[in-house]
Amino acid sequence: MRELSHLPFLSFFLLLFALLPFLPLGIWGAFLLDVGFFIQLFTAMALSWDLVARTGQLSLAHGAFFGLGAYGAGLLAPHVGTLPALVFGAFVAGAGALLLGSVTLRLHGLYFAIASLAFSEVLRTLALKLAFTGGPIGLPVPPPFGGVWPLAAYYLSFGVLLLATALSLWAEWSPFRLAQAATRQSEAVARVLGVRVVRVKLWSLLLGSLVAGLSGGVYGMKTLFLSPYDAFSLGRAVEALVIPIFGGLYSTLGPLVGGVVLVGLEQALRLWIKEGYLVVYGAILILVILFLPRGLVGLLGRRRG
Amino acid sequence: MGKALEVIGLSKRFLGLQALKEVSLHLEEGEILAVIGPNGAGKSTLLNLLSGLIKPDQGRILLLGRDISHLPPETRTHLGLGRAFQIVQPFPELSVRENLLVGALFGKPGLKRKEAEAWVAEVLDLTGLAPRAEALAGELTLLEDKRLELARALATRPKVLLLDEVMAGLRPKEAEEAVALVRRIRDSGVSVLFIEHLMPVVRALADRVVVLDHGEVIAEGTYEKVAQEERVREAYLGRRA
Repeated sequence: MRELSHLPFLSFFLLLFALLPFLPLGIWGAFLLDVGFFIQLFTAMALSWDLVARTGQLSLAHGAFFGLGAYGAGLLAPHVGTLPALVFGAFVAGAGALLLGSVTLRLHGLYFAIASLAFSEVLRTLALKLAFTGGPIGLPVPPPFGGVWPLAAYYLSFGVLLLATALSLWAEWSPFRLAQAATRQSEAVARVLGVRVVRVKLWSLLLGSLVAGLSGGVYGMKTLFLSPYDAFSLGRAVEALVIPIFGGLYSTLGPLVGGVVLVGLEQALRLWIKEGYLVVYGAILILVILFLPRGLVGLLGRRRG
Repeated sequence: MGKALEVIGLSKRFLGLQALKEVSLHLEEGEILAVIGPNGAGKSTLLNLLSGLIKPDQGRILLLGRDISHLPPETRTHLGLGRAFQIVQPFPELSVRENLLVGALFGKPGLKRKEAEAWVAEVLDLTGLAPRAEALAGELTLLEDKRLELARALATRPKVLLLDEVMAGLRPKEAEEAVALVRRIRDSGVSVLFIEHLMPVVRALADRVVVLDHGEVIAEGTYEKVAQEERVREAYLGRRA
């Protein structure tokens, strides 16, 4: 249904990430692996946000899904091991998404955004107040697979990125894309044309939350420590939406390019400028949004729907 | 012949305004029925109730004998009810072909993608949109927009088609073409209920006419018959002093 011309570009990025640990990077190696880890994780978050945005739902709950996944996985990891804990974390995030989705079925755009923001705030407060989360003190998380393999966290985040890319491509190339685009552009018309709008919105939110939950789980296993303010940060939800806007909305390539450039840029600026790097970061962001309303991939001159 | 659509005692109130009051009417299978009436008579409310975008306060709607009064819009579409909107609402970021594919793929669940694509190609030919199939819907002219609106409703393979002033804004020549198109659609086995302001179109197209005024049916019959009725003239021209 869509042109496959993005595919070489996409494969190149993914291959680069897969091989990054084996490239001769010298003293830069450890730093670049860290940067690569965060690029992969936040790009996956951006893809999962975009997946939801394609139905017209502006999610500010992605920080909450991330936090649910992080705490779900972090709490269970000492007892059941890394992978089952990650899956559990994703399911917790998914349950949160179904809860949020089922009470916001009729909401659209900004109204959904506000509801999802409230959802996010409630969950952070819960994480602060409940006993089993460790409250404001935080929660220590064991490294993946008992810490025997230094590259484990890196490759887990690579796996999450692969999964997010695969989901996004499926949604882009299957009839699901038309259902999402129709829902986004007019719910009433979409329904009259037979689109099961409620289902499309719920599925999109659920799939997006699963990826965000996995990202959170892997994040905890990398930082080895979770606090409510970090795990349920609104900043993370904002980053998840800034990346697709920067790279190009409603596509797979947009969030991917946006994530690599933006997260990479943030890390590089932090290294070069140290004091006030966010000023430069913000200025670049504003320039791109002003002059490339369709994001970086708009430069490729491709339309999307 | 059976009834394609039957409306029994349909009422709808918006705050203080009685938009429809116990409206009953029906559409025979294979018939083209016009619903006319002055502005504010309740025509669009009727269509929104029929397609399920708003819920009735009272009354029932039967589609091919089945009660659809409480079904959501998408289910009504799956059962064979199609609708074209008065204000054209194409999905501007999708191509013309993709706009139709939305209707073809989701209008009838279980349809295979290949079948949907073949049907869309047919509809594109029938509506004369084939040369513009790959254009973005946001880039169409008004005439093309109108055609797309009709084509997209047709893409859902309706048995009953609701048309909301699809001829408004067309030049006489274009309206003539559209009339011929609606006839072809009916001849392919679709029953049509349409709302229209242009009387020449109503006269040329309708087998039967229902006249609404202030939310009530005030006349029904052939165009010639209702055009002569005093109440209809009053509704359109105002009461004589």
